[in-house]
Amino acid sequence: MPKAIELKNFSYKYPDGTVALSDITLSIEPSQKVALIGPNGAGKSTLLLAMAGFIKGSGKVFIDGLPLNRKNLRQIRTLLGSCLEDPDDQLFTPTLFDDVAFGPLNMGLDAEQVRTRVADALQMVGLAGMADKSPHHLSAGQKRAASIATILSMSPKIITLDEPDGNLDPRNRSNLVKLLTSLPQTLIIATCNMNFAAALADRAVLLDNGCIVADGDAKEIMSDSGLMTSHGLEVPARTGLSF
Amino acid sequence: MHHAYIDKFAYQDSAIHRLDSRVKFVVVLLFTALVISLPRTSFSILACFAVGPFTVLVLAGIPLKFAFKHILLVSPFVLVLALSCPLYDKTALTVAFGPFFLHTSAGWMRCFVILAKFTVTMLALIALVSTTRFGDLLVGLQRLGLPKLLIIQLGFLYRYIFVLIDRAHHILRARAGRKLRNLGFKQELKIAASMLGSLFVRSLDTAERINIAMQARGFNRSWRTISKLQVRRGDVVFVLAAVSFMSGLYFFVRPVLQ
Repeated sequence: MPKAIELKNFSYKYPDGTVALSDITLSIEPSQKVALIGPNGAGKSTLLLAMAGFIKGSGKVFIDGLPLNRKNLRQIRTLLGSCLEDPDDQLFTPTLFDDVAFGPLNMGLDAEQVRTRVADALQMVGLAGMADKSPHHLSAGQKRAASIATILSMSPKIITLDEPDGNLDPRNRSNLVKLLTSLPQTLIIATCNMNFAAALADRAVLLDNGCIVADGDAKEIMSDSGLMTSHGLEVPARTGLSF
Repeated sequence: MHHAYIDKFAYQDSAIHRLDSRVKFVVVLLFTALVISLPRTSFSILACFAVGPFTVLVLAGIPLKFAFKHILLVSPFVLVLALSCPLYDKTALTVAFGPFFLHTSAGWMRCFVILAKFTVTMLALIALVSTTRFGDLLVGLQRLGLPKLLIIQLGFLYRYIFVLIDRAHHILRARAGRKLRNLGFKQELKIAASMLGSLFVRSLDTAERINIAMQARGFNRSWRTISKLQVRRGDVVFVLAAVSFMSGLYFFVRPVLQ
């Protein structure tokens, strides 16, 4: 069985020459729930963009066994769904239905299949019956859920989420944890919130200054107070427990 | 943040709301063309035409206060144009209202006609956008043959205008929180310019991220949608009623009133 994601010696520099990612070697098994943790500017979002083929660096990237190149890009984007940090970037059409249908329509599915997928995705995130709403009429929690629905409707094998808990109150964060833990897909979640990461992930990858500093069992890494504080992070209040 | 959405009432349910967006759009377009084409002396016929959008607004349950508030919001542009008329056309004119006479000028007449036509056509436009969801309107316009690129741009405009307004509010609030004294016109201008610049740069960043979000979901420069529009019996009845009303006024009532 191919690895869900495999990066071999991947490096990337910003156009101004700043090193964003340095010699990243990482492999993620299917169905794993991985938290990419690290301080601001560590390179978490850049790494997620690299996985989805939005930035080109040196080294190799494989998604579900497929090498990331121009030829495979279309297929890779149906395998890997990227959910951006700001829901206002992710939800760009006038209605929720159009947004959730956008991906399936681009996959070439017929109208009936698209309708079914939209209904299922909205049902999963708890927004059933809100398909005709405009994104600007939704609350922050609903927008976040809708962003995830736009990815779920494409039924990807892998989902990357960039700071999915941002701007969420505890109740909505708890709902999000429940939703994400119920998903069978491989999840890669970039976050600075250690409690959120601890509630979700079975593996943690600690990034700092564009390098992988630690990679292993989420509880083990996140309970190492010396490691966490030396990289500007904190030990979660309750590791591995429900949020 | 809460905005004064123009389509605030478009999510209600009424016979008017359920009409096909193409039908409503074509009727409003026709209505607007007819009202604009009326001669500048046709005050009474204009009043008759106003009955149409009023009826639609009442049937759809749209508060008239909301309609007039929005007319007032966009009126400054037309007010400038209308109020300039009396300045350049001072030809004396006498207007008869039954047994009463009013001595005025052609400029003032033109001013009132512009304002009256603006109010009546705006009422029709507000009736359209208040009873039609913007997404449905876009699908309708696309089905009527408007260029896809224009439809996409309108969609983005509608989606992001509120985001942009929110950002502008946040920047203004941040400025107000730290501006503790009068800085003088020159300094204020400088700050306003940098605020606009910041808004522009953030908009560019947003555009870039939207592009990423679109590509991540397989966008390949072809915007696909599922059309949910369907012309039903209610639409046919509405078209017949609207056409009878407009043609009746234009061809039969107008010659009598003039």
